[in-house]
Amino acid sequence: MSDATTDMKVTAASDVEVDRDALDRSIKEFAGPNGDYYVNAFHTIHDNTGFVPRTFNLAAALLGPLWASSRALWGMFWTFLILEIIAWVQIGRGLWGNLGADFIARADQQRERMQERLDQAAAAADDETRQRFEQLAENMQRAIDQNLERAEAAQAEGLGILLIGLVLLVGFKLVQGVYANIAYEKQYSRWRIDPTGTESGRSTTNLLLGVVLTALIAPLIVYKFTVSNSLALLNEFPEREVSTLVLGDGGGTLFGAVASWMEARIDAAATAGGDVFDGIVLGVRTVLDGLTLALNGSPWPVVMLVIAVTAYRAAGPRVAIFTVAAMAYTALLGYWALAMETVALVGAAVILCVLIGIPLGIWFGKSTRAYKMAEPVLDLMQTLPAFVYLIPIIAFFGTGNPPGILATIIFGMPPVIRLTALGMRGVPESIKEAAVAFGASKWQLLKDVEIPLALPSIMAGVNQTILMCLSMVVIISLIGGGGLGQEILEALQFAAKGPGLLGGFAILFLAMVMDRIVQGAFKRADQK
Amino acid sequence: MDDPVVKLENVWKIFGERSDEAMKAVREKGLTKPEVLEQFRCVVGVQDASFEVSRGEIFCIMGLSGSGKSTLVRHVNRLIEPTAGKIEILGQDVSTMSATELRRIRAQQIGMVFQHMALLPHRSVRDNVAYPLEIRKVPKSRRWAISDHALGLVDLTGYEDRLPRELSGGMQQRVGIARALASDPEILLMDEPFSALDPLIRLQLQDQFKALVAQLKKTTLFITHDLDEAIRIGHRIAIMKDGVIVQIGTPEDIVMNPADDYVREFVQGISKLKLVKAHSIMEPMERFKGSLDGAPRADEGADLDQLIDLAVETDMPVVITQDGADIGIVTKPRLLRGIQGGKDE
Repeated sequence: MSDATTDMKVTAASDVEVDRDALDRSIKEFAGPNGDYYVNAFHTIHDNTGFVPRTFNLAAALLGPLWASSRALWGMFWTFLILEIIAWVQIGRGLWGNLGADFIARADQQRERMQERLDQAAAAADDETRQRFEQLAENMQRAIDQNLERAEAAQAEGLGILLIGLVLLVGFKLVQGVYANIAYEKQYSRWRIDPTGTESGRSTTNLLLGVVLTALIAPLIVYKFTVSNSLALLNEFPEREVSTLVLGDGGGTLFGAVASWMEARIDAAATAGGDVFDGIVLGVRTVLDGLTLALNGSPWPVVMLVIAVTAYRAAGPRVAIFTVAAMAYTALLGYWALAMETVALVGAAVILCVLIGIPLGIWFGKSTRAYKMAEPVLDLMQTLPAFVYLIPIIAFFGTGNPPGILATIIFGMPPVIRLTALGMRGVPESIKEAAVAFGASKWQLLKDVEIPLALPSIMAGVNQTILMCLSMVVIISLIGGGGLGQEILEALQFAAKGPGLLGGFAILFLAMVMDRIVQGAFKRADQK
Repeated sequence: MDDPVVKLENVWKIFGERSDEAMKAVREKGLTKPEVLEQFRCVVGVQDASFEVSRGEIFCIMGLSGSGKSTLVRHVNRLIEPTAGKIEILGQDVSTMSATELRRIRAQQIGMVFQHMALLPHRSVRDNVAYPLEIRKVPKSRRWAISDHALGLVDLTGYEDRLPRELSGGMQQRVGIARALASDPEILLMDEPFSALDPLIRLQLQDQFKALVAQLKKTTLFITHDLDEAIRIGHRIAIMKDGVIVQIGTPEDIVMNPADDYVREFVQGISKLKLVKAHSIMEPMERFKGSLDGAPRADEGADLDQLIDLAVETDMPVVITQDGADIGIVTKPRLLRGIQGGKDE
């Protein structure tokens, strides 16, 4: 080591000098006006090892949110704008707020009623009735006195509220003064990382924006909460007035106009495309009828046996035992036919999801542009509450099982599309390139390389889709879907606890059995 | 002499959306690489590459990562379209072929081996090797037989029914080689086939590969970033830097006469003992004043290693012969300089 030729000077960490000049220049560049102040403040912050802050920014304390806005600390601006408004509201209530207004208003009302009673007493025919009314009026008088007392007490509280408001305001100002430089130093650190994306210096535009925002928000809030009978305009959006302004007198509301326009559009579309919608319903019904015939038309012992054997072959003995137990539960409680109807509903939905979803997923996996266009639609399909699209589905497709399946497809198809696309995009480029290099055509590439390699992901998508479809079973009974869902819906309507729970368990078992069998089958396929 | 099997003429590849404009600008104004990047946001991948590979030759393309060697070789089977230039395989112009024709020539005439093997994970070793035949719709019985034969060539008999992941890296790459050989192509494209393997396995596979190709007489384009490998395997070597072919020559050429400092730096660490032949360091007979009686004799093709063996036995220079006739001498100073890499005295 002694004859090392390196020229690098090695200094112990404790001897390293802090190069203030470079740092100072940078801070000044960041802070703009009052650069020297912030240089000192940041140094104090940098030198501080303890928890207690040691700088106080007087400008920030006095100007409050306006200082934050001028320095583009928007998080701080909003936080302290809200906090200061709370304090100002207290001050306002203490100073000129009519604190007992509620009680006085109540007392006024009671006085009116008392007057009524007294009138009734005066008009009474016999003594007994008069006495009763006088008694009532007396009670009323006592209530009035009580309310007036309370009003007075509330008025007396005004000073306390004013004090609380002042204390809060001073407190918030102090916090801002202490916190300002710390927040600004953090902004400085962000600015060093991303100088173009982080605002620096003091900007008049930002200050003006802060002033405008404060001016728009603060006075209205303080007014609304301190004056007992504020303008009605501030309490409620004047939608009626706006409607009249747009549609003219007697033109109804905007809501009514838009809603009836939409209804007319939907009706027109439903009539115009009637054949198409009927065709879709027919297609769905064909699949459903086939499944129903197989599950409910075949003798029940055969169906049970087939299901049990399928469970055993696909997922092993444990799942098979569970399946048999679940089937026994449904059959013994008389749910067998309903359960099979539900299976047919879910099965038809899943089959259609897979038939449509996998080709779409393959397309989206290959074309980034198509996927970008479809993604918002897929998001919508999954996030839109089912109840929202049930209504147009009724309009276009009517009620019953096929429209229910369509609703289920809307909700259940996105996962299989997404995961197929994901799997397609996950196929290594190198393997695809190898196949192309050996002369594979596009179809061969798809069939021999892409689909087999994407298969685990596609199967995960199918499994997700099955579970999503099952979760729609109850919801589609709202538009006439049958099966166990209808049972639950009826129980819900009559708050029938027993039947509801029994039916719920039947659906739960159904879901578990389907999930176990499918997952078991996929696991086996994976291991192959 | 035969026509070249692979022939590239002034091939350019410029990546980017405005590659055509960039190409035009390069032609007309002679823009440099950084200028193209700045003005057109296009990257020059291959710059004016020309070479010919004759039948049975192993042609190595050597360069560091990013030098464009993989890009260049992918032009041969048109996995990458050239921006400009002409590529011929077996006398046919690749760039004008229809899609069907291109697929046919890929399947029948070109075998390719990849750095990361790129085997199909869900198919057995046998089915992987048979895949190029399957693409050509060869019946199963036939392609299994061919596949087993190809696996025999790379010493993998007995592993036919395994899945690729059950095999070690070296074995997987042998499957890759078998797959490239299965359709009995004229041309082999080897894209850094041994780079991902550990050094001992790599040496083994290099020797195995060299013997196999010599036996099967395949025309081979072999990409590597390792000059040792290039020298060990290649008949000729092209050295690439930043998309440009800096030098093409036999291993001896390159080691003895590096074209520029870049190549020289590469060549420095290479052992010359087996590489440099007597004829490239010998001097004229007249330089030696005196009798050459009893001096050891060696053929002009003898390498430095052999010359050293002869020289240590005697004080006289070694006489170099060609077809039995004396044509020159190698003195000891000359020999030592030769070992250093042909520095001038």
